[in-house]
Amino acid sequence: MSDNILQIQNISKSFGGLQATQDVSFDVKEREILSIIGPNGAGKSTLFNLITNFYKVDSGSILYRGENIVGLTPDAVCLKGITRTFQIARPFPGLSVSDNILVALLAKSKSVEEARDKVPAILEQVNLDKKAHFMGGQLTTLERKRLELGKALATDPEVLMLDEVMTGLKPKEMDEMMDLIRELQQHMTIVIVEHVMRVIMTISERVIVLDHGRKIAEGTPQEVTSNPEVVSAYLGRRSGNAGN
Amino acid sequence: MKFSKPLVIFIILTLALVIAGFSPIPVYVKHVLILTLLYAYMGTAWNLMCGYAGRLSLGHSAFVAIGAYTTIILFRQITLSPWLGMLMGGLLAVGVMLLIAYPCFRFGLKGPYFTLASIAVMEIVQNLLTSMRDLTGGSLGLSLPYKPTSLALFQFDGKEPYFLIILVLWFIAVALVWKMERTRYYLEAIREDQDAAAALGISVNKNLIKSAVISAFLVGIGGAFYVQYFRYIDPATVGGFSIALNLALVAIIGGSGTILGPTIGAVLLIPLSEVLRMTVGSQLPGLHLLVYGILLVITIIYLPKGIVSIPGIIRARKIRKANLALTGSGIAGGSGADE
Amino acid sequence: METFLQIIASGILLGGIYALISVGLNLIFGVIKIVNLAHGDFLMVGMYLTFFLFTLYKINPYTATLLVFPILLVVGLVIFRLIIKPLLGKSETEVNTILASAGLGYVLQNLALMLWKSDFRAIETNLTGKSINIGGMMLSSGRLWAFIICVVVALVLYYLLMYTKLGAQVRAVSQDTDAATLMGINVNMIYSLTFAVGIGLVGLAGCIIMPIFNVYPTVGTYFNTLAFVIVVLGGLGSFTGALVGGLIIGLVETFAGVMASAELAQVFSLLLFLIILFVKPEGILGKAARV
Repeated sequence: MSDNILQIQNISKSFGGLQATQDVSFDVKEREILSIIGPNGAGKSTLFNLITNFYKVDSGSILYRGENIVGLTPDAVCLKGITRTFQIARPFPGLSVSDNILVALLAKSKSVEEARDKVPAILEQVNLDKKAHFMGGQLTTLERKRLELGKALATDPEVLMLDEVMTGLKPKEMDEMMDLIRELQQHMTIVIVEHVMRVIMTISERVIVLDHGRKIAEGTPQEVTSNPEVVSAYLGRRSGNAGN
Repeated sequence: MKFSKPLVIFIILTLALVIAGFSPIPVYVKHVLILTLLYAYMGTAWNLMCGYAGRLSLGHSAFVAIGAYTTIILFRQITLSPWLGMLMGGLLAVGVMLLIAYPCFRFGLKGPYFTLASIAVMEIVQNLLTSMRDLTGGSLGLSLPYKPTSLALFQFDGKEPYFLIILVLWFIAVALVWKMERTRYYLEAIREDQDAAAALGISVNKNLIKSAVISAFLVGIGGAFYVQYFRYIDPATVGGFSIALNLALVAIIGGSGTILGPTIGAVLLIPLSEVLRMTVGSQLPGLHLLVYGILLVITIIYLPKGIVSIPGIIRARKIRKANLALTGSGIAGGSGADE
Repeated sequence: METFLQIIASGILLGGIYALISVGLNLIFGVIKIVNLAHGDFLMVGMYLTFFLFTLYKINPYTATLLVFPILLVVGLVIFRLIIKPLLGKSETEVNTILASAGLGYVLQNLALMLWKSDFRAIETNLTGKSINIGGMMLSSGRLWAFIICVVVALVLYYLLMYTKLGAQVRAVSQDTDAATLMGINVNMIYSLTFAVGIGLVGLAGCIIMPIFNVYPTVGTYFNTLAFVIVVLGGLGSFTGALVGGLIIGLVETFAGVMASAELAQVFSLLLFLIILFVKPEGILGKAARV
């Protein structure tokens, strides 16, 4: 039990008549890389929003180190140690890149000075040190993604939840990002929502497959990709995705 | 260091104001100084919620009116010292602000909806003040019973004491905003993207409420000063759209979301409008307000970040030119194409 | 019972007038998604135009609509080009257009103050003080005419929006700017047209209410609040909403005005406005409401 940092137990959520998440349960082990995959509209981002309490679950519980965090506000979830990124990166457009990072550092810093001292290290980590004085809104898509990651790292999370950080990256950039994620794994648990199969196969230790809001498979990347139900969920709707 | 330049400006500004206030200048100029400081003070308070947190209120005169009426009514009815009245006025303004701010933030009212709600609150306060004739004198207003100079009663025959009081209030407000560095960053993040802020562990509602409460308290105190200084108020003047817009105006033209922006805006605008009022006010009533309106429109279109952003814009232009020269000589084409 | 019916009838007439005043505001919000805080001040401009056309050239207020509507249409086009267009598509468009329009309203008010002083002005037409007896209820002729014109304008506007190609384009733009652009609709043209028509309509409303209300430089402030209450009540951006909202507020104000004071009547509608803002956000957000 003790090596499960996060336990998702029977959570469900519907919007109006649409069942976005249906009785989903899984555990996240300490210091693992867990991927969540599934076709478009499978409910991956919704799941992120539920775990971080941006949406309130209709039923079920979410245990973080054994404590139920359902009902907390999103900021409290972050302070507990779970930080998420957004699928479409959301820099603070009117703040400079270094202030973006500074703001993210503040919540867990005793003073503004202490936070300010930590900014350069994080900028370097996500390779944005040369853009420190740019406005968040001036960055390219790739830079926005890096800033998004930098902000998340600045909150010093125990569980880092990355929502499609690879989308739009060139193969070389993907390799860099994967190296970074492996490095991060030394210090934290990582949950990834991802479309790019190559990434999932390479870095994840375990994979959860969602379809229509339900969990249809769980296992190692190899187990999951050979699961007939997973194959039909992907191929049944469209086929373009797995080629990457 | 990053803050050294504004700090120098702040110190110079304070010293200049102190010297000006106590030098043998005409009474009228002193009046303009007091007015300027009053708007700088209230604009600074407005700026905390509306500039930093980006919740644009065009109804802040509601809190000016609450502060002013509380002070004068308590004095007239139970001869409570205006200093205590001032405190009560500030607290009552906070109460009313909480009544409106809590549901506003709780239900996620943003953008135009928040602004409309703030205007509605202003109109409600104004209408209630008008309708409570026994207590407020209705639309005819109330005047402050004259007392000879007395510190305890907050009434003075000369201008200097008022100047000193509003100078201190302004100083406190600016220093307070200055000290709230962490909160300012939080509010800016909330203004830019409140979900992204929450994802970083920033409590959106708590910080918004905090900014709203401080803003209302300071503005309520400003209302109390207003009635003690002008000795007469009526609902339309003290609680109407004019003051509400002026608070926004000094902050925005100076630079909203910056520490000294409202003060700089007030220093430029208030003397300008007073000079206009004095020189052509009798032939052309409303000209000074017309100028306000035009300045607001022009600022919003051409300089949305206000006067304080001018140095930054010039610097950015220089940097861009320097970068262009660099990339031009190094890699051909590329990023310079948009120029 | 008779007085009750009388109050209802007066309330409905007033509501029709209010709806006419608000419909331009709603059109602009619905299509361009901006809040025009100078709305009431354009009403004031329309009223002054009507006043001077009547006193100087003996032009009947109802005939004056034929002049005032096109004049304000052009004013609307110019204002859109000069003030609104530069702010669209930039950061903080919503807040900046509010502020710019507030500044514009201030300009209009004080221009009026400089030109015409703060005196209250009214006109006396052959309808002034006349009432018509319908089924035992005395209805003011001016208000009845205003109501009829409001209904006609509403029907014409409804027809234009629902049954013409241009109307379809306006509706397309109001729903999805990007999709409309992809379909070859000139969004900028639709925007400026909508803004112009919105301003023209409130000018027309100025003509219609001139026989009933006094005009003075800040008259717009009163009607501005009213228009916003009505529009939010009915659902910002919803065309029929403005009509329904107008009727509700007309009735509420007439009843509250009979039972309490005019100020309290306004407080009552403003509280209603706040409650709607808080508890029925999907109503005020109109079609923009999402999961």
